[in-house]
Amino acid sequence: MAHPLEPRVAAYLAGRMPGAADLSVDSLERISGGASRETYRFRLSWTEGGAARVRRMILRRDPPASLIDTERRVEFEAYRAFHGTAVPVPEMLHLEEGDEALGHPFFIAEEIAGFQASPQMLFAAASDAVLGRLAERKWTILGEIAKADHTPLVDVVPTPPLDGCWTRELDHWEALIDKDAAEPVPITRAAIRWLRANPPPPAQRLSIVHGDYRTGNFLYDAEGEIHGVLDWEMAHLGDPLEDLGWSLQPVWTFGRPGRAGGLCSRDQAVAIWERASGLKADPAALHWWILFNCVKGQGIWIGSAAAFNRGGNRAPIMIYPAWWLINAQDRAMLQVMGRL
Amino acid sequence: MNPQVPSVLLELAGLLQRNAMPGVPPAERASDLGLSAMLLTVLAEAWDGQAHMLVEENRAIRALLGETGADADLHLSVLQAENNRLRAALIDRHARAEAEGDTALQDRIWAELAATTERRRISTAPV
Repeated sequence: MAHPLEPRVAAYLAGRMPGAADLSVDSLERISGGASRETYRFRLSWTEGGAARVRRMILRRDPPASLIDTERRVEFEAYRAFHGTAVPVPEMLHLEEGDEALGHPFFIAEEIAGFQASPQMLFAAASDAVLGRLAERKWTILGEIAKADHTPLVDVVPTPPLDGCWTRELDHWEALIDKDAAEPVPITRAAIRWLRANPPPPAQRLSIVHGDYRTGNFLYDAEGEIHGVLDWEMAHLGDPLEDLGWSLQPVWTFGRPGRAGGLCSRDQAVAIWERASGLKADPAALHWWILFNCVKGQGIWIGSAAAFNRGGNRAPIMIYPAWWLINAQDRAMLQVMGRL
Repeated sequence: MNPQVPSVLLELAGLLQRNAMPGVPPAERASDLGLSAMLLTVLAEAWDGQAHMLVEENRAIRALLGETGADADLHLSVLQAENNRLRAALIDRHARAEAEGDTALQDRIWAELAATTERRRISTAPV
């Protein structure tokens, strides 16, 4: 049975591809997961210049309410900033910011097919050697993101001063926690007080920050190569240590204590990143950013529960991060603060 | 637990009914049912200890705040409301202890906060 979105996607693309004839969409199916966007894969077939063409594509559409509220254009432009560089990303094809075509804003991109993103599948099957190669690639690519030119995003996101990166992020996430917390969060509040009392040094440079760079948000193969960095919806400009701190925050060990991102030791990850980026990860500054990212994580999980509680999105994917991670994130904060 | 358990169970009941109807795309049905199973697994683990956890935690926080009293009504919603009141008061008391340099009280509060995360811990959580 054809998915009801297929004719609507086909009609939209027909309007965007004036040289195409006999255009059709099939095999459209939703990809599991994804609390911030609805993600679908599909196959597009058409005739152009007398030749039959087929291309596999991805549709990323806003849900009715998300666990994070972000601009579709920012994500689209972040992908475009890195396409064709040392940071592997899918090619962006069409951006639609109105609700007319598919009910909510969306973009369409090429599908990088044949690879996995699941951390659980990775840890169930991969050898230590493969995990080591993946770690090398993961933090090398993050180093490439850190040293990339930030100017492609200056028209779509704010440009903070080097000494204001931390306040902008902390203010943003504290305000979200203030708005969304259904229950008091004493550990998070204590962490925020500590972060404000012990600010980090100014950023070494202004970088594009992916915002959710972790195991699970890239496509890998069985040999430990990375073929696509995904989920740029929280991209912004800021301190490159922010992304490194997110990649090292304890919930992303996936229950493999002592392994950053479940892959290698924290010291190894930092060394790879420093080599690739040409930047230094000052230990005190990195500590600040890891703790900040624990607060940010809590803001996301609390926001997920809030989106459910307000009725804007009642999907089970909105509940699971809150039930699974709010207490784990508290424990991560205690761990980082030396209280566990 | 946030979101609250009754509203989650009602939502899952509706979700199961919708997925029992024909015409649901298979990938979406698989995703809905898989996530529902994971949520029910979390619930199965947390169910028996919820009231005990809240009573124990409320008692410990009252001691830190110098309050007397006990939980007489054992409905989870009532225990949770009292827990919210006490945890909000604990945030204020913790901040005041920091401002006053009362390290002994800070250490006691930190110990209780660590204990709260042990009580709430689920076996599949990453930390």
